[in-house]
Amino acid sequence: MVLYNFRKITTVPTAKDFVNIVLSRTQRKTPTVVHKHYKISRIRQFYMRKVKYTQQTIHDRLSMIIQEFPKLDDVHPFYADLLNVLYDKDHFKLALGQLNTARHLVDNVAKDYVRMLKFGDSLYRCKTLKRAALGRMATIMKRQSPNLQYLEQVRQHLSRVPTIDPYTRTILITGFPNVGKSSFINKITRADVEVQPYAFTTKSLYVGHTDYKYLRWQVIDTPGILDHPLEERNVIEMQAITALAHLRACILYFVDLSEQCGHSIEEQVQLYESIKPLFVNKPLLVVLSKSDVAKLSDLPPDRREAFKPFEQEGVPLLEMSSLTGEGVMEVKTEACETLLAFRVDQKLKTKKVEGVLNRLHVAMPAQRDGKARPPCIPEKVLEKKNEMEVESVRRKLEKEIEEEMGHEYILDLKKNYDMPDDYKYDKVPEFWNGHNLMDFMDPDILEKFEKLVQEEELRIESGMYAVPKFELDETMKEIKELARRIYDKKRINHQVRRVTKPKSMIIMPRHTSAKARERSVSRLRDEFENLGVDMSDTKNANFTQTRRSRSVNRPLLKRARSASAGASAEGRSRSASKGRVLSVAPTKRLRVDTLGKPRSVSRAPRDEMGVKDVQMKEKLRIAAKKAISKKVNKQGLKGEADRFIGTKMPKHLFSGKRGIGKTQRR
Amino acid sequence: MAVRVEFENNNEIGVFAKLTNAYALVAIGGSENFYSVFEAELADTIPVIHTSIAGCRIIGRMCVANKNGILVPNTTTDEELQHLRNSLPDSVKVQRVEERLSALGNVIVCNDYVALVHPDLDKETEEILSDVLQVEVFRQTVASNVLVGSYCALSNRGGLVHPRTSIQDQDELSSLLQVPLVAGTINRGSEVIGGGMVVNDWSAFCGLTTTSTEISVVESVFKLNDATPAAITNEMRASLIESLS
Repeated sequence: MVLYNFRKITTVPTAKDFVNIVLSRTQRKTPTVVHKHYKISRIRQFYMRKVKYTQQTIHDRLSMIIQEFPKLDDVHPFYADLLNVLYDKDHFKLALGQLNTARHLVDNVAKDYVRMLKFGDSLYRCKTLKRAALGRMATIMKRQSPNLQYLEQVRQHLSRVPTIDPYTRTILITGFPNVGKSSFINKITRADVEVQPYAFTTKSLYVGHTDYKYLRWQVIDTPGILDHPLEERNVIEMQAITALAHLRACILYFVDLSEQCGHSIEEQVQLYESIKPLFVNKPLLVVLSKSDVAKLSDLPPDRREAFKPFEQEGVPLLEMSSLTGEGVMEVKTEACETLLAFRVDQKLKTKKVEGVLNRLHVAMPAQRDGKARPPCIPEKVLEKKNEMEVESVRRKLEKEIEEEMGHEYILDLKKNYDMPDDYKYDKVPEFWNGHNLMDFMDPDILEKFEKLVQEEELRIESGMYAVPKFELDETMKEIKELARRIYDKKRINHQVRRVTKPKSMIIMPRHTSAKARERSVSRLRDEFENLGVDMSDTKNANFTQTRRSRSVNRPLLKRARSASAGASAEGRSRSASKGRVLSVAPTKRLRVDTLGKPRSVSRAPRDEMGVKDVQMKEKLRIAAKKAISKKVNKQGLKGEADRFIGTKMPKHLFSGKRGIGKTQRR
Repeated sequence: MAVRVEFENNNEIGVFAKLTNAYALVAIGGSENFYSVFEAELADTIPVIHTSIAGCRIIGRMCVANKNGILVPNTTTDEELQHLRNSLPDSVKVQRVEERLSALGNVIVCNDYVALVHPDLDKETEEILSDVLQVEVFRQTVASNVLVGSYCALSNRGGLVHPRTSIQDQDELSSLLQVPLVAGTINRGSEVIGGGMVVNDWSAFCGLTTTSTEISVVESVFKLNDATPAAITNEMRASLIESLS
């Protein structure tokens, strides 16, 4: 907790900078454009705003400065006195007071000019008034130049003054210059105070902190003081006096027995006597420093007389040497203990302690029953405690594994399971076939499993699962063999077909007709008869009968051929007739006129071309319908013939400025 | 030994860990830093177990445990239960309880012999508690706070309670629990003792901001070093008065 933070005071600009800052801010933050033809109220308003804004900015900045500097009447008397010593209270107050006056002056100037601006009757007049107002404000600020400069210096110095908490536990080191005060503070704290073998090395207060009994202690090193009246003391000494006067601390008065500091023991005791009023009501220790050079016991008795006053007052004398470190800790301990006892004593007199009394109480249990409730500490812990010194093999921590593996690290939850290693990573589903496995958990599952295994073994032994053998007779074997071969052959055929299958079907053009078959039984018979072979007895000859359906559905021949064949068309029958020109019979009977001449045959319609029969035609019709509807549906057309175009002239393609004769769009 | 530790920049470590004399439970965090503090200190002697309860990291507030057993709220998943069962020694019983006040760690505080519970806790839960954890159960408040688990830390050797517990209350509680009690704070003045620290009979862990005075009080009252609770009234009295007022 920091009570006073003088480091946060914002920089105080010089008068020139101050004016620059304010004016440029006004320029940046207010409107800049005004014209004389504007309404006069608007012009007035424009300039009034400028004047008011400048005034407000100056006011705010000055207020901030006045506010941020410590008020001597409000701060702790130690700081008030320190500020007085360092910067002269009157000067400080005057500077702040004058800034305050300047603030009021600026306010008044702004008020006057705003009033005058209300009567401005032209842009020019308003502008002149504004200029005058800003100029006067700037002049007021320029007059504050020395004050601002002084305050900036104070600020800079103040920010370097160590933060001293006047209320906390404090040990204050004092004495003549060069008696070893700074060496001591360097010993017990980490404050790095400069130590040199001449007087007034330390020119201001230094603060260090040390720990004792779980508490933090503030140790303050003061500049040395000489024995002369208060009025003659310089600023350096006065800082020490201020600290002594106002801080309720444990005071360590350093006395140099070796007199290396250039002051005799008597002089040092004399100084003690003269500043004694500052030690009233404070714990006090007298530290006899540089004990490596001179000790109290080595002093001749007449010189020891000098310490009489201390003995009379019961002030403890402690010997110490910062060089050898002898007695340093004793001095620190003694100082802390004395101060702690003193502070606790003081606090016990106040009401504050009552609030924490319950926390200083240890409630010890009253025996409730005879039951023993010993602590449960595993043997291993006690063993480990005893073997503290023995460095055992340190286990590899999870954190180290994580660091080693980097991004690949995945926390292994199963690693530390309390079970045999080969069980740890078994996968146990939470749900199986829609059942929660936990519902079926059985404490004796292992026993039951064992039982089942045994039963199974018994069954196997009794031959329950033995496969009965049965004999095959000869015929069955033959059948089996044959079946196997058929099966094999089928497989082979299947695969051969797959390999030799043509890449694509041969596509027959629609206008060609299927090639007619020229071989037939009847033709064979005819030809043989023509050659003089007797074919009368071949009723049972194994000529394969051509399938009737094929001949019926024989496709159309080309027109020319059918025309030439037309002559014998009426004699088209299966019964063989002599001299008949053998040719493939047309499927359709050719139309003939009355004279028996065939009429020309018109081409078949396109949808019947290359179509074998009615079934095929029907099939094709359906296929065509499907194909069309697919295309139509996909494009959202009404039908096959739909060629709808949504917009005939899209606007974006046909619009553009061509006013000056350019034909290019846009 | 009391160790200072923090969980992902959070000092309330009693929320993210549970420590007993037979095992320690640690929340699964973003990294293993927190776990490894416990691991380094305890893993040689007792299992230190990563776990979540009901999918939460606030395991210390969800469950109540001692060396005999552990009670978890009914929101705990079967998987977590199985994981706990697999990780814990067989001597530790794991039990899920149907309790309306499901943050069991906040409403119950116990050591291996005695437990203090929230006055509104179910009768059934109380029975389960005394059966599973083998403790005597007392319905009590700590400094008129019903959340006894939050404002109290307990081991078989001592206890730390809410800083505003009156001396009479302390004496009464101490007689019930049969351990020495001290009122104090943790984590630089936090009153939430149970949330700020975990303790067993030979070690304690508290938040990183705990002051040295608080640590010394903890070590004395839980007898973690050679000091005894009496030290608080004797040697440390001056420092305590000085730092508290």
